[in-house]
Amino acid sequence: MKIKSLKLREAHKGSANASFCSILWDLNAHHLVTASSSEPSISIHDPLLPSNPPRVLRHHRDGVTALALSPNSTCLSSGSIDHSVKLYKFPGGEFETNITRFTLPIRALAFNKSGSMLAAAGDDEGIKLINTIDGSIARVLKGHRGPVTGLAFDPNGEYLASIDSIGTVIYWELQSGRTLYTLKGVAPDTGSDTSILNVLSWSPDGETLAVPGLKNDIVMYDRDTAEKLFTLRGDHTQPICFMSWSPNGKYMATSSLDKQILIWDVNRKQDIDRQKFDNRICCMAWKPIGNALAVIDVMGKYGVWESVVPSSMKSPTEDIPSSRSKNSNGLLFFDEEDEEDQELSMSGSLSDLGEDSHGESEPPSRKRLRKQSVIDDDQHEDVYNELNLCTKTEYRKKVHRINKESSDKERDGSRSMMTFRPKMQEAFQPGSTPPQPGKRNFLCYNMLGSITTIKHDEYSHIEIDFHDTSTGPRVPPMTDYYGFTMASLNENGSVFANPCKGEKNMSTLMYRPFSSWANNSEWYMRFEGEEVKAVALGGTWVAAVTSLNFLRIYTDGGLQKHILSLNGPVVTAAGFKDELAIVTHISDCLPSNEQMLEFRIFNISKGTQPFKGHLPLTPGSYLTWFGFTEEGQLSSYDSKGVLRVFTSQYGGNWLPLFSASKERKSGENYWVVGLNASKLFCIVCKNPDSFPQVLPKPVLTLLNLSFPLASSDLGEEALENEFMLNNLHLSQIQKRIEVMADEGLDTTPLDDEAFDIEAAQDRCIFRLIASCCNGDKLVRATELVKLLSVEKSVRGAIQLATALKLPILAERFNNILEERLQSKTEVLKTSLPRSKHDRNVKADVAASMALTATERNGDQTACLEDSREVNDAGKNAGPSQVKNLQTQRPSNPFLKLPNNQEEKKVEEVMSESQSQGPSNPFFKSSNKVGEATGIQQSHRPSNPFLKSTAK
Amino acid sequence: MAGQSDPHISLFSAEEVEFMAEDELIEIVPNMRMDPLNFICGDFGPFLPQIATQVPMWLAVALKKRGKCAIRPPLWMSVENLTKVLEGERDSQGAFQALPFHYVEISRLLFDHARDDIPDMYMVRSLIEDIRDVRVHKVETSLEKFSGTSAVKIPNLSAMEVNIIRPFVGRALQAFYKHDNPEKIPDVDRASSGQTRVANNEPRRPLRR
Repeated sequence: MKIKSLKLREAHKGSANASFCSILWDLNAHHLVTASSSEPSISIHDPLLPSNPPRVLRHHRDGVTALALSPNSTCLSSGSIDHSVKLYKFPGGEFETNITRFTLPIRALAFNKSGSMLAAAGDDEGIKLINTIDGSIARVLKGHRGPVTGLAFDPNGEYLASIDSIGTVIYWELQSGRTLYTLKGVAPDTGSDTSILNVLSWSPDGETLAVPGLKNDIVMYDRDTAEKLFTLRGDHTQPICFMSWSPNGKYMATSSLDKQILIWDVNRKQDIDRQKFDNRICCMAWKPIGNALAVIDVMGKYGVWESVVPSSMKSPTEDIPSSRSKNSNGLLFFDEEDEEDQELSMSGSLSDLGEDSHGESEPPSRKRLRKQSVIDDDQHEDVYNELNLCTKTEYRKKVHRINKESSDKERDGSRSMMTFRPKMQEAFQPGSTPPQPGKRNFLCYNMLGSITTIKHDEYSHIEIDFHDTSTGPRVPPMTDYYGFTMASLNENGSVFANPCKGEKNMSTLMYRPFSSWANNSEWYMRFEGEEVKAVALGGTWVAAVTSLNFLRIYTDGGLQKHILSLNGPVVTAAGFKDELAIVTHISDCLPSNEQMLEFRIFNISKGTQPFKGHLPLTPGSYLTWFGFTEEGQLSSYDSKGVLRVFTSQYGGNWLPLFSASKERKSGENYWVVGLNASKLFCIVCKNPDSFPQVLPKPVLTLLNLSFPLASSDLGEEALENEFMLNNLHLSQIQKRIEVMADEGLDTTPLDDEAFDIEAAQDRCIFRLIASCCNGDKLVRATELVKLLSVEKSVRGAIQLATALKLPILAERFNNILEERLQSKTEVLKTSLPRSKHDRNVKADVAASMALTATERNGDQTACLEDSREVNDAGKNAGPSQVKNLQTQRPSNPFLKLPNNQEEKKVEEVMSESQSQGPSNPFFKSSNKVGEATGIQQSHRPSNPFLKSTAK
Repeated sequence: MAGQSDPHISLFSAEEVEFMAEDELIEIVPNMRMDPLNFICGDFGPFLPQIATQVPMWLAVALKKRGKCAIRPPLWMSVENLTKVLEGERDSQGAFQALPFHYVEISRLLFDHARDDIPDMYMVRSLIEDIRDVRVHKVETSLEKFSGTSAVKIPNLSAMEVNIIRPFVGRALQAFYKHDNPEKIPDVDRASSGQTRVANNEPRRPLRR
């Protein structure tokens, strides 16, 4: 076996100089990814057909120094000498985003085990922890004195280990970002040669950290105490430059500057095989399935060393005792330097030696599948096995137990912390997108238009576009020397603000009206020792919230009008006409990772604060959009995709009106732009993008608002949702009518709207009654009948109940109708004396009833159609009943007319009543019980007869 | 085909076929606000800025000419789909790939009026031209082969292609029919000699209604 030499194939040409190259496998061993620091391309090879040309990704402008694959192998990340870190789809290789930039070359990348976080480091000071979902920088870890060359996330998700070129190893605690241990000078100092990178690697079970030592060896450090445990020392004659754990952690491959690869049996601390190469091997990766090792040398030649571990010994992927659970948790086994990261520990290996060492004949892939179902319990068990079988010193045992237990407890918490924001969210502008180098981004996008910016070297270029090009003002593009990052837009003008950048660049607020009778009507405000955090724009005012928690309100002419102190750091602000809404933090996040936010609504022109209260968020989410509906209702949207609208019902409450998780088609994100009473306007973004690009121009998608209803036994969620929405609209309109009436304004259009909604609501209720009857929910049906606003619909319900052979129900409905009629006649009687016209009461009542009848005719037919459908669907359906229904229909107790003549007669009655006087007090009285007052009511346009006669 | 756009041979001129294609619906993104339009063919709109809506092709083109909207190219007009279709056309000798009935006309209208709305316009254009050439060639070769039948059935043929081959196929089939049934020749000849002459001279008039 030792004689066999490995043929290497050229992957990257590179220069004549030795340069660091990377290689890694994907999860299923279908692809090999290679990169060289002397060449800007990344190659994706098919290991089965090495002669096929690889897929080449050329997005970097300089050599690629680091590669990392997310644990589920869907996302490839690369870091380069050109200072950028890029993300690609995998295995397709489509470029996705420049997730971050440094000021110096990148040297190391690593994904955490859930793939939600990417650590990147290089010659810059500081390791960046990047949230892969939105590209935000979660933390910058500073502490290394030299270029960071190796990063490794602990498989259990608690720590990050890093190593620099001068040989310092640092353990970081992820949750707090603190340095736990700093081990100075434990690894060789590689000097300035960038083709040698110090690396380090956690064992797959996370119990040991392997670091190259000073005596041409590998030193193992304890997970929790950072104590030196043991070393692997053998025939390497020069320092070790790379190492890789086998997937089960039993073996380790090490490569050294002496151009050798040694394979170690870690438990016995002995080398079992070796291979000599022409050039130094700078990166290796164990095949995740099977017994093979992929290697790449400093000249960019790669190869796969098959059957690395002698067949007499266990396969490197066979029985992965505790890493099995972690695999399914998404442990990163293919992270650049960490791909080797596979399992092992003293205790873990002890346990599996004791348990299941023989005769695993199942293919590894099947085993993997089976293991996935075991997940966490399994891990627990293993932990206990480890503990029980552990033959180490008592001390070790204790440390283990304590740490294990605590880490198990904390794991869930820390994981969710990592996926979402680890802290209180920063201030943001609704409708803005994060800046992307070389591309335009939105400073503001709303239903009206957009403000976009693109950064050039010294200045930015800002454009303001209105969606409606025909009516919106045309605004010339402007050059921005301030570097504005916040903006807001309405029909009158736009406001901009920039954060302060050091001493010379103070935070500035600028307002720019679109049309003004005076020249130079734009104005600037400069803030010393203060920084604008959020801006908002309203009818005649401009608001800015600053880092000192001041709310500053200006007129649109630039007069400094009010300065208020807010309770906490601002999250965002939004304006609509007179109203300004502001969201602030009121305290640190709860331990359950819920943010505590508060909102306030100010009425600027009146100087009042109509509402304030907590802003609800879905647990574990953050606010992503905040604004007003087209009708002026406050609304918010959080990162879990729940839209909430503020209503004054129940003394001011937030109603969840949309949930992306119910709506979402797979792989879509909704970026909210605005909403009106029934629709949500948003831009649909394909995963993993969570925000739109400026070009191509995004197109709005309309989504229906819907309450997150529980699935009821009735199975009519759509109807129930419509019912609740109608109720909501009705209450909103009635509130507005009240307000308007108080101000003495004409409420006619609103009345009409309310009437239309009532009609729609009756239809909806009727259908609900029908399905209740069919579903045998009779009590619910009775409740619904009580909610019908017109007695004609109640009659329809009675007919329906009769047709469905539910006499008891029909009886109940009848009682309800009688009660209703009774109360109505009482109202009529009481209201009559107030009427100025001394008319024949009976005729008037008849006329009004007839009116209702005709008005409701459309309604009625709809109801009948429904009932017929119901009939057809019902068990006791029969054509005779439908006929019955038809003949029953005209039974109007007040008119006593045959159906086909009804309309004619109504017309007669109508003309009669018209001739009697234009102000018939009962024109509308029957529309709503209890509204039959003598006040002149508006004519309903939906009544064809009224219209014709009123003319 | 011999006379692809010769109005004397095809039933309709290319412009006429295009005119018919203009009733197809297409999605536009208006940049103005306008109330719904109520036409005989249906109601379209309301038009709200940046919100996509479906309108007939002719309306889309009219709005586009005035700079009031952007036309969203239909899904089948993507480079991937067209590449697939072209491959399919080349692979299968007999069958035709499914494309919209008016694909030639729609793509032509979009190329003429909405070139800025089509991503990879030149690629799309050359793909569609290739597809058209392959299909026309296929039609020609398949027409060479048919013999002794009284009917020809070609699924997925588009309007423009049908328009080109219809008069020829009709006459050819007639001829086949004549030769296959020698006993009917005198009848056919006598009965339709006048008619066929008329049809040959001015085939368009009676059919245009």
